Amino acid sequence: MAQPVLQHFCQILYDSRFGTAIRESDNAFSVIESVHVLSITLLVGTIAILDLRMLGLTLRAIRVTRIARAVLPLTWAGFGVMLTSGFLLFWAEAAKNYLNPAFRVKMILLLLVGLNPLIFHTSVYRRVTEWEIEHRSPWRTRGRVCFAPALGRHHRCRSRHSIFLA
Amino acid sequence: MNTKHRVLPLVIATLLSSIPAYAHHSFAAEFDGSKPTRLVGKITRVEWTNPRSYFYVDVVDAKGHSSNWGCEGAGPGALSRRGWKKGDLKLGDTIVVDGYRAKDGSHLIDARLVTFPDGRSVYGGSPGDGGPGDNGTDQGNLPGTKKS
Repeated sequence: MAQPVLQHFCQILYDSRFGTAIRESDNAFSVIESVHVLSITLLVGTIAILDLRMLGLTLRAIRVTRIARAVLPLTWAGFGVMLTSGFLLFWAEAAKNYLNPAFRVKMILLLLVGLNPLIFHTSVYRRVTEWEIEHRSPWRTRGRVCFAPALGRHHRCRSRHSIFLA
Repeated sequence: MNTKHRVLPLVIATLLSSIPAYAHHSFAAEFDGSKPTRLVGKITRVEWTNPRSYFYVDVVDAKGHSSNWGCEGAGPGALSRRGWKKGDLKLGDTIVVDGYRAKDGSHLIDARLVTFPDGRSVYGGSPGDGGPGDNGTDQGNLPGTKKS
Protein backbone atom coordinates (compact mmCIF):
# COMPACT_ATOMS: atom_id res chain seq x y z
CA MET A 1 0.00 0.00 0.00
CA ALA A 2 2.08 2.93 -1.28
CA GLN A 3 1.43 6.22 0.46
CA PRO A 4 2.79 9.58 -0.63
CA VAL A 5 5.86 10.48 1.41
CA LEU A 6 4.22 13.55 2.92
CA GLN A 7 1.18 11.56 3.99
CA HIS A 8 3.41 8.90 5.49
CA PHE A 9 5.27 11.57 7.46
CA CYS A 10 1.97 13.04 8.67
CA GLN A 11 0.87 9.60 9.78
CA ILE A 12 4.08 9.11 11.75
CA LEU A 13 3.53 12.41 13.56
CA TYR A 14 -0.11 11.55 14.21
CA ASP A 15 0.68 8.08 15.60
CA SER A 16 3.53 9.27 17.80
CA ARG A 17 3.09 9.23 21.58
CA PHE A 18 3.64 12.97 21.78
CA GLY A 19 1.11 13.78 19.09
CA THR A 20 -1.42 11.38 20.55
CA ALA A 21 -0.96 12.85 24.02
CA ILE A 22 -1.81 16.33 22.76
CA ARG A 23 -4.70 15.12 20.65
CA GLU A 24 -6.32 13.17 23.48
CA SER A 25 -5.46 15.61 26.24
CA ASP A 26 -7.96 17.06 28.68
CA ASN A 27 -6.44 20.53 28.73
CA ALA A 28 -3.16 20.70 26.79
CA PHE A 29 -4.76 21.00 23.37
CA SER A 30 -7.00 23.85 24.50
CA VAL A 31 -4.09 25.70 26.09
CA ILE A 32 -1.88 25.32 23.01
CA GLU A 33 -4.68 26.47 20.75
CA SER A 34 -5.39 29.50 22.95
CA VAL A 35 -1.70 30.44 22.89
CA HIS A 36 -1.79 30.02 19.10
CA VAL A 37 -4.68 32.44 18.73
CA LEU A 38 -3.25 34.97 21.19
CA SER A 39 0.12 34.97 19.45
CA ILE A 40 -1.68 35.76 16.21
CA THR A 41 -3.28 38.78 17.85
CA LEU A 42 0.20 39.93 18.89
CA LEU A 43 1.50 39.40 15.35
CA VAL A 44 -1.39 41.06 13.56
CA GLY A 45 -2.07 43.76 16.14
CA THR A 46 1.45 45.11 16.13
CA ILE A 47 2.00 45.00 12.39
CA ALA A 48 -1.34 46.77 12.00
CA ILE A 49 0.08 49.79 13.80
CA LEU A 50 2.94 49.99 11.32
CA ASP A 51 0.46 49.53 8.48
CA LEU A 52 -1.82 52.27 9.82
CA ARG A 53 1.17 54.60 10.01
CA MET A 54 2.09 53.92 6.40
CA LEU A 55 -1.51 54.45 5.36
CA GLY A 56 -1.30 57.84 7.03
CA LEU A 57 -3.99 57.10 9.61
CA THR A 58 -2.08 57.27 12.86
CA LEU A 59 1.12 58.54 14.54
CA ARG A 60 1.85 60.61 11.49
CA ALA A 61 4.36 62.87 13.22
CA ILE A 62 6.64 59.92 13.95
CA ARG A 63 9.04 58.44 11.43
CA VAL A 64 8.07 55.11 9.95
CA THR A 65 11.42 53.61 10.92
CA ARG A 66 10.96 54.63 14.55
CA ILE A 67 7.65 52.82 14.72
CA ALA A 68 9.08 49.82 12.89
CA ARG A 69 11.90 49.58 15.40
CA ALA A 70 9.40 49.44 18.28
CA VAL A 71 6.91 47.13 16.62
CA LEU A 72 8.86 44.55 14.64
CA PRO A 73 10.43 42.67 17.59
CA LEU A 74 6.93 42.11 18.97
CA THR A 75 5.66 41.06 15.58
CA TRP A 76 8.46 38.54 15.23
CA ALA A 77 7.82 37.24 18.74
CA GLY A 78 4.17 36.71 17.86
CA PHE A 79 5.17 34.97 14.64
CA GLY A 80 7.58 32.66 16.47
CA VAL A 81 5.06 31.61 19.11
CA MET A 82 2.42 31.17 16.43
CA LEU A 83 4.65 28.85 14.41
CA THR A 84 5.67 26.82 17.45
CA SER A 85 2.18 26.39 18.85
CA GLY A 86 0.82 25.78 15.37
CA PHE A 87 3.39 23.06 14.79
CA LEU A 88 2.37 21.35 18.03
CA LEU A 89 -1.26 21.41 16.95
CA PHE A 90 -0.27 20.10 13.55
CA TRP A 91 1.76 17.33 15.19
CA ALA A 92 -1.36 16.22 17.05
CA GLU A 93 -3.62 16.23 14.00
CA ALA A 94 -1.22 15.72 11.09
CA ALA A 95 -2.89 12.74 9.43
CA LYS A 96 -6.32 14.40 9.55
CA ASN A 97 -4.92 17.70 8.35
CA TYR A 98 -3.35 16.00 5.34
CA LEU A 99 -6.80 14.94 4.17
CA ASN A 100 -8.45 18.27 4.91
CA PRO A 101 -8.63 20.60 1.88
CA ALA A 102 -9.32 23.62 4.08
CA PHE A 103 -6.02 23.01 5.86
CA ARG A 104 -4.11 22.94 2.59
CA VAL A 105 -5.60 26.27 1.59
CA LYS A 106 -4.68 27.61 5.04
CA MET A 107 -1.04 26.65 4.48
CA ILE A 108 -0.98 28.30 1.08
CA LEU A 109 -2.50 31.47 2.51
CA LEU A 110 0.06 31.39 5.35
CA LEU A 111 2.85 31.27 2.79
CA LEU A 112 1.35 34.20 0.91
CA VAL A 113 0.85 36.18 4.10
CA GLY A 114 4.56 35.68 4.78
CA LEU A 115 5.56 36.43 1.22
CA ASN A 116 3.91 39.85 1.19
CA PRO A 117 6.13 41.44 3.88
CA LEU A 118 9.16 39.71 2.36
CA ILE A 119 8.56 41.38 -0.98
CA PHE A 120 7.74 44.62 0.81
CA HIS A 121 10.96 44.70 2.83
CA THR A 122 13.14 43.89 -0.15
CA SER A 123 11.58 46.45 -2.46
CA VAL A 124 9.67 49.55 -1.37
CA TYR A 125 10.97 49.50 2.20
CA ARG A 126 14.59 49.55 1.05
CA ARG A 127 14.20 53.26 0.32
CA VAL A 128 12.22 54.02 3.46
CA THR A 129 14.58 56.84 4.48
CA GLU A 130 13.33 58.76 1.45
CA TRP A 131 9.74 58.79 2.67
CA GLU A 132 9.74 57.90 6.36
CA ILE A 133 8.73 61.36 7.51
CA GLU A 134 5.91 61.68 4.96
CA HIS A 135 2.55 61.59 6.68
CA ARG A 136 1.31 59.14 4.09
CA SER A 137 3.68 56.66 2.48
CA PRO A 138 4.02 56.28 -1.31
CA TRP A 139 1.17 54.59 -3.20
CA ARG A 140 3.10 51.40 -3.83
CA THR A 141 3.65 51.02 -0.11
CA ARG A 142 0.01 51.65 0.65
CA GLY A 143 -1.10 49.17 -1.99
CA ARG A 144 1.04 46.41 -0.53
CA VAL A 145 -0.10 47.32 2.98
CA CYS A 146 -3.77 46.92 2.02
CA PHE A 147 -3.15 43.54 0.41
CA ALA A 148 -1.93 41.98 3.65
CA PRO A 149 -5.08 42.31 5.80
CA ALA A 150 -7.22 40.87 2.98
CA LEU A 151 -4.99 37.79 2.87
CA GLY A 152 -4.96 37.61 6.65
CA ARG A 153 -8.75 37.56 6.83
CA HIS A 154 -8.98 34.71 4.32
CA HIS A 155 -6.44 32.79 6.36
CA ARG A 156 -8.51 33.26 9.52
CA CYS A 157 -11.66 31.95 7.86
CA ARG A 158 -9.74 28.94 6.57
CA SER A 159 -8.40 28.13 10.04
CA ARG A 160 -11.92 27.88 11.41
CA HIS A 161 -12.90 25.74 8.47
CA SER A 162 -9.99 23.44 9.17
CA ILE A 163 -11.32 22.78 12.62
CA PHE A 164 -14.88 22.08 11.51
CA LEU A 165 -13.90 19.77 8.72
CA ALA A 166 -11.49 17.82 10.90
CA MET B 1 -11.31 65.66 12.51
CA ASN B 2 -9.49 64.60 9.37
CA THR B 3 -8.30 61.38 11.00
CA LYS B 4 -11.77 60.51 12.22
CA HIS B 5 -13.14 60.65 8.69
CA ARG B 6 -10.37 58.38 7.48
CA VAL B 7 -10.58 55.91 10.34
CA LEU B 8 -14.36 55.43 10.27
CA PRO B 9 -14.48 53.25 7.13
CA LEU B 10 -11.67 51.14 8.58
CA VAL B 11 -13.54 50.68 11.86
CA ILE B 12 -16.74 49.71 10.05
CA ALA B 13 -14.85 47.25 7.88
CA THR B 14 -13.24 45.68 10.94
CA LEU B 15 -16.57 45.34 12.74
CA LEU B 16 -18.18 43.79 9.68
CA SER B 17 -15.35 41.32 9.35
CA SER B 18 -16.12 40.04 12.85
CA ILE B 19 -19.59 38.84 11.84
CA PRO B 20 -18.28 35.41 10.75
CA ALA B 21 -17.16 35.02 14.37
CA TYR B 22 -20.72 33.91 15.04
CA ALA B 23 -19.65 30.71 13.41
CA HIS B 24 -18.20 30.07 16.83
CA HIS B 25 -21.64 28.75 17.64
CA SER B 26 -20.54 25.81 15.63
CA PHE B 27 -23.64 23.68 16.08
CA ALA B 28 -25.69 25.67 13.57
CA ALA B 29 -22.86 25.78 11.07
CA GLU B 30 -22.81 22.03 10.62
CA PHE B 31 -25.99 20.53 12.06
CA ASP B 32 -29.70 20.91 11.50
CA GLY B 33 -31.61 21.68 14.69
CA SER B 34 -34.86 20.60 13.02
CA LYS B 35 -33.72 17.02 12.45
CA PRO B 36 -33.62 15.28 15.85
CA THR B 37 -32.39 11.72 15.50
CA ARG B 38 -32.01 8.77 17.81
CA LEU B 39 -29.46 6.12 17.02
CA VAL B 40 -29.20 2.79 18.78
CA GLY B 41 -26.21 0.73 17.84
CA LYS B 42 -22.98 -1.07 18.62
CA ILE B 43 -19.76 0.89 18.87
CA THR B 44 -17.34 0.18 16.03
CA ARG B 45 -14.79 2.92 16.57
CA VAL B 46 -13.98 5.59 19.15
CA GLU B 47 -11.85 8.68 18.51
CA TRP B 48 -11.13 10.33 21.82
CA THR B 49 -9.77 13.51 20.22
CA ASN B 50 -9.54 17.27 20.45
CA PRO B 51 -11.19 19.53 19.44
CA ARG B 52 -14.14 17.13 19.03
CA SER B 53 -14.51 13.44 19.80
CA TYR B 54 -16.09 10.97 17.39
CA PHE B 55 -17.61 7.57 17.94
CA TYR B 56 -19.11 5.35 15.30
CA VAL B 57 -22.01 2.97 15.70
CA ASP B 58 -23.50 0.28 13.51
CA VAL B 59 -27.21 0.96 13.28
CA VAL B 60 -29.63 -1.70 12.04
CA ASP B 61 -32.77 -0.31 10.42
CA ALA B 62 -36.28 -1.82 10.31
CA LYS B 63 -35.41 -3.89 7.24
CA GLY B 64 -32.35 -5.36 8.88
CA HIS B 65 -29.80 -3.34 6.90
CA SER B 66 -26.80 -2.20 8.88
CA SER B 67 -25.19 1.17 8.33
CA ASN B 68 -22.40 2.93 10.11
CA TRP B 69 -23.09 6.34 11.64
CA GLY B 70 -20.71 8.87 13.16
CA CYS B 71 -21.50 10.82 16.31
CA GLU B 72 -19.64 14.00 17.14
CA GLY B 73 -19.13 14.88 20.78
CA ALA B 74 -17.26 17.44 22.84
CA GLY B 75 -13.51 17.25 23.40
CA PRO B 76 -11.93 14.95 26.03
CA GLY B 77 -11.63 17.77 28.60
CA ALA B 78 -15.31 18.64 28.61
CA LEU B 79 -16.39 14.99 28.52
CA SER B 80 -14.16 13.96 31.42
CA ARG B 81 -15.55 16.83 33.48
CA ARG B 82 -18.96 15.23 32.95
CA GLY B 83 -17.75 11.92 34.27
CA TRP B 84 -17.10 10.25 30.91
CA LYS B 85 -13.61 8.73 30.93
CA LYS B 86 -11.57 7.64 27.93
CA GLY B 87 -12.11 3.92 28.28
CA ASP B 88 -15.82 4.08 29.16
CA LEU B 89 -16.97 3.25 25.65
CA LYS B 90 -15.77 -0.16 24.50
CA LEU B 91 -16.03 -1.64 21.04
CA GLY B 92 -19.21 -3.67 20.77
CA ASP B 93 -21.08 -1.78 23.51
CA THR B 94 -24.63 -0.84 22.62
CA ILE B 95 -25.41 2.81 23.20
CA VAL B 96 -28.25 5.20 22.49
CA VAL B 97 -27.32 8.54 21.00
CA ASP B 98 -29.75 11.44 20.70
CA GLY B 99 -28.64 14.19 18.39
CA TYR B 100 -29.20 16.15 15.21
CA ARG B 101 -28.32 15.31 11.62
CA ALA B 102 -25.52 16.98 9.74
CA LYS B 103 -26.68 19.56 7.19
CA ASP B 104 -24.82 17.87 4.34
CA GLY B 105 -26.90 14.74 4.75
CA SER B 106 -23.99 12.49 5.67
CA HIS B 107 -24.26 9.78 8.32
CA LEU B 108 -23.13 12.11 11.06
CA ILE B 109 -25.01 13.42 14.04
CA ASP B 110 -24.11 15.88 16.75
CA ALA B 111 -24.47 13.83 19.92
CA ARG B 112 -26.39 15.87 22.49
CA LEU B 113 -27.25 12.95 24.78
CA VAL B 114 -25.41 9.67 25.06
CA THR B 115 -26.89 6.82 27.08
CA PHE B 116 -24.40 4.20 28.19
CA PRO B 117 -25.00 0.45 28.57
CA ASP B 118 -25.19 0.91 32.35
CA GLY B 119 -28.07 3.34 31.91
CA ARG B 120 -26.46 6.66 32.74
CA SER B 121 -26.86 9.57 30.33
CA VAL B 122 -24.20 12.13 29.56
CA TYR B 123 -24.48 15.45 27.77
CA GLY B 124 -22.38 15.36 24.60
CA GLY B 125 -22.42 18.89 23.24
CA SER B 126 -19.40 21.20 23.21
CA PRO B 127 -19.52 24.11 25.70
CA GLY B 128 -20.58 27.25 23.83
CA ASP B 129 -21.56 25.56 20.58
CA GLY B 130 -25.04 27.07 20.63
CA GLY B 131 -26.83 23.76 20.21
CA PRO B 132 -29.71 22.30 22.27
CA GLY B 133 -28.64 21.94 25.88
CA ASP B 134 -25.84 24.47 25.62
CA ASN B 135 -25.67 27.16 28.27
CA GLY B 136 -22.03 28.06 27.86
CA THR B 137 -20.86 25.84 30.69
CA ASP B 138 -19.19 22.45 30.70
CA GLN B 139 -22.22 20.67 32.13
CA GLY B 140 -24.90 22.12 29.87
CA ASN B 141 -28.53 21.94 30.91
CA LEU B 142 -30.06 19.20 28.83
CA PRO B 143 -32.94 17.48 30.63
CA GLY B 144 -32.05 13.96 31.63
CA THR B 145 -28.36 14.49 32.28
CA LYS B 146 -26.87 14.30 35.72
CA LYS B 147 -24.56 17.13 36.72
CA SER B 148 -21.23 15.76 37.87
